[in-house]
Amino acid sequence: MTVIAFESKLPQRDGSWRAGELKAIMDSFAAQLSTGEAGGWDVGATEIGDPQFYLLGPLPHEDCILCISRLDRIYVLEDGAGRVLFEHNSVATLAERARSILQKKKAQIAVRATLLWCAVREMFKEKLDAMAGEGEELLVHFVPQLAAFA
Amino acid sequence: MQFVKAAPEAKELRRRAGAWLKELRGRAGLSQLQLAQQLGLKYYTFVAQVENGFGRVPTESMEAWARALGVEPAVFARRLLSFYDPELHRLLFEVKK
Repeated sequence: MTVIAFESKLPQRDGSWRAGELKAIMDSFAAQLSTGEAGGWDVGATEIGDPQFYLLGPLPHEDCILCISRLDRIYVLEDGAGRVLFEHNSVATLAERARSILQKKKAQIAVRATLLWCAVREMFKEKLDAMAGEGEELLVHFVPQLAAFA
Repeated sequence: MQFVKAAPEAKELRRRAGAWLKELRGRAGLSQLQLAQQLGLKYYTFVAQVENGFGRVPTESMEAWARALGVEPAVFARRLLSFYDPELHRLLFEVKK
């Protein structure tokens, strides 16, 4: 496989984000950061000075959940396991996609939690029904005997 | 009893893991780009993410990383476990029978 190496046409490649880029990224994650869904963020760079933005997961581990890198004129969105999720030449478009990925992830978690809750409730209902059924059977069995004693 | 690792400790350990990987890469004479090529990654950005202490080497690709960096996979995985999950590492390798 060929790894894509970018020869920079920009005058500098100092590993820093431009203010406008960072604002677009921060704006798209504002909700996640304010609700605690994301534990924080940080910045770094590749060894040749491509800037990276890391969105961190909740405490205590604060693992990277999303990473945005700028490689010359393209922005790359990866998850914390290195899977490339999206590439685009507009940081605003990429940030928007990153936000929708997080929202989708959250919705998937909510669906899974709901399914689990329904399964647990169904299991309890079945157990209760079985217990109620047993109770009725016992009554049917013992009531005539008790009546005979009376 | 403390069940959850303190955040600064987990972050610091991940950072140390990254520094160790960077050192290994240096010893192997590879750039981030060359390592990414050997790992079959599309971009070299994930190598930087891990070396900067924000990402982790996924378990399923530890062997590939180890071979690319010239380390025996079991030794590599064991060392990474000491950074990523020190408690499990302690139970597996440090607690005496």
